[in-house]
Amino acid sequence: MPKLIIDDIEVEVPAGTSVLEAARSVGITIPHFCYHPALAIAAACRLCAVKMLDGPVKGIQMSCALPAQDGMVVSTTDPDALKMRKLVIEWLMINHPHDCPVCDEGGECLLQDFTIAGGHGIRRYQGKKRTHVNQYLGEGIYHEMNRCIQCYRCVRFYQEYAGGTDFGVTGCAGRVYFGRFDDGPLESPFSGNLVDICPTGVFTDKTGRFRARYWDYQYAPSICPHCSAGCNLSPQAYHREVIKIVARRNDEVNGWFICDRARFDKSDLNDPLRPRQALVDGSPVEWEAALNALATRLREFVQSHGADSLALVGSTRLSLEAGILLAELAARYKGVRLCYFIDPAEAQLSLSKVEWVPAGMAASQAELREADFIAILPCDLMEESPMIALAIRQAFVKGAKVYLVAPHLTALNLERLPFQVQVVPELADVPLGEAKRGIVVAGAGFADLKGLEAVPTGVKFVLLQPGPNSFGAALLAREYRAVPLREAIASGKVKGILALETDLPEELRQGLTFFAAADWRNNGAAEPASVFLPTSAWAETGGTWINYEGRAQRYRQAYKTGLPLRGLPARYYGSQEAEPPAHPPRVHRAVAPGGDTRSAWMLVAELIFKLTGEPAAEPYAGKWAPLKHIDPEGPGMRLPAELLAG
Amino acid sequence: MISEQLKKSLQQRVETAITPREAAVDVMKELQRHYGWLTDEAVGEAGELLGLSPLQVEELATFYEKIYRRPVTGKLIQVCDSISCWSGCCDGIIEHLKKRLDVELGGSSADGKFTLVPCCCLGRCGDAPVMVIGETFYGNLTPEKVDQILEKER
Repeated sequence: MPKLIIDDIEVEVPAGTSVLEAARSVGITIPHFCYHPALAIAAACRLCAVKMLDGPVKGIQMSCALPAQDGMVVSTTDPDALKMRKLVIEWLMINHPHDCPVCDEGGECLLQDFTIAGGHGIRRYQGKKRTHVNQYLGEGIYHEMNRCIQCYRCVRFYQEYAGGTDFGVTGCAGRVYFGRFDDGPLESPFSGNLVDICPTGVFTDKTGRFRARYWDYQYAPSICPHCSAGCNLSPQAYHREVIKIVARRNDEVNGWFICDRARFDKSDLNDPLRPRQALVDGSPVEWEAALNALATRLREFVQSHGADSLALVGSTRLSLEAGILLAELAARYKGVRLCYFIDPAEAQLSLSKVEWVPAGMAASQAELREADFIAILPCDLMEESPMIALAIRQAFVKGAKVYLVAPHLTALNLERLPFQVQVVPELADVPLGEAKRGIVVAGAGFADLKGLEAVPTGVKFVLLQPGPNSFGAALLAREYRAVPLREAIASGKVKGILALETDLPEELRQGLTFFAAADWRNNGAAEPASVFLPTSAWAETGGTWINYEGRAQRYRQAYKTGLPLRGLPARYYGSQEAEPPAHPPRVHRAVAPGGDTRSAWMLVAELIFKLTGEPAAEPYAGKWAPLKHIDPEGPGMRLPAELLAG
Repeated sequence: MISEQLKKSLQQRVETAITPREAAVDVMKELQRHYGWLTDEAVGEAGELLGLSPLQVEELATFYEKIYRRPVTGKLIQVCDSISCWSGCCDGIIEHLKKRLDVELGGSSADGKFTLVPCCCLGRCGDAPVMVIGETFYGNLTPEKVDQILEKER
């Protein structure tokens, strides 16, 4: 472990750590553009200059490309280093347009920060600036090439990290250009990360352009709802509308990046037709009135039909907290049907995957990135969980052998995978016995768990699940002896359903005498429900989801629910008839229009109180107590063995 | 379109390389000889031969200044303006060439015989100032020598 001195502070770091990272470990940020921890070293920007006062190398050095060594004495504040950095900034700014006020990156721009930090303020260069023609890169990303400072982060990410081939760097010297061969949408499903890693405004998020500044956003640590990988991200909201979604670093899970579906698919949250109004028999009422009606009707229903005619239905996207409370509500009515899954096969499969993987043998994305043998069982990874494929690519680049088990190759699209695979007909053909860090990857649809029995011990598993909290739902279903809804209905007794954030197939609502629903998604549940209660979406509330590996991750509320300010309907401006004025409503109200919602867990807690007169119990008690304190900004928590065991 | 024969010989060239990328310059040069410049079509063909995307070929093609991604009129005169030739007064030679051909740098002469471009070091600094016409190298240039060469090359 080399020991060195940086700005009079003694630092000891693992061998191979760069001077830049060593300085960062003691809280000294050395300005840098091209350096990115997830990417190969380019040493292209020359900004991270430090002065080596003593040790094996001396003088001005690039701290990103210099491994820390014993006896180094580093100064980040030496006048020579400061002057170098100032001149580099001035040089990088020579061609950079002074368009910060109209640039979407303004306020969250590394170039802005380090230009100020470097002390460059007055432009001396009088010549003409280099200019480029921008390209159309699809509906996700806006290209503004004039802002480029040639740090090569984008191309290193796109080609080396993500394995894309349609975007790169052309030209040389002063004509260096980052783009495609010709105009067209970027093909990589990870292209959106260019927005995050570009240190300036060459790539900006087209889906949220010119809507708000960095300091306007409300945001919070959150988790992606699109698959079971549990990638960390942060929704950025302004005036109750999610403008952008950015990746959030979690070295155990997604690293620094997210896929384009996670980043660009905000349609559910911003859907203007999202149900936001509490309804009783289709008529708008206050939240409280709807909850009262729900409690009354539930009570009446149970009295006249019996508790075993009622099904309380959660889902694989419902937070763990709401799921636990739903079980508590069910416990108050003996015989009531508690459901977390609709389909029996899915319920069975989710639980058997949870139970099949021996404790500690589920592989995280971080472990995937370090694997040396990977066997992928038939699934379309790029469709199902692109980030898993990106993690496999990192292992592949480091020399891992990747096998695809495919009895019928025709159904699989190998072209899209960002790594090369060796196709074998059966899992037995993969020499997993040779693996030191072997991992078997299977999609959510994979059901042949028996076939995995031959896998040698020591090999870990990635068994994907269909929903962001399928793992949690399976645990809940086992713990509280829940039944899948179809099975409950097949018994012929179920006459009433309370669906909590559940996408219920229409045919399951047929023949019910009572149907109530609570959801934030526009999935058609509000209309047929006799009582409908709008809930807050994942980005608008806190909660916990458990990803495919059994990692519980907490998400926080990013913003308060409500109709986005943009496009507010006329009735919120005081009068139905009058022309809507160009400013927000001046009707005095305690909550924002469309914001009279509750988190699903709070709804259940309130319902328990209404029905029993007693407050609901703390969800993180008893068996679930270890999950109480999960840091939303930490790596999450792998479930302890006693929670995994039945 | 390239002939089957050329395609075959290029395929052989690619096969002998340890990595296909290594053969990229040779392939691009052959295609350039065939088309006169590296057309978009040629970029696509090079990509297919090398197993690269068109963009990845473009990355290499635009890096090397002797691969032309635009049509070249007549013979190409590349005159070095790097430091050794500059010390040997290439400025005077460039001015002379401009006057003789009546073109600016990057332009083609009225008779369509020559195109004049500056270029980076040609690796023959001992003979500075130097230029290349087509694939013929000329060193120790003087204005008189340039006139003779132009007469010969025309």
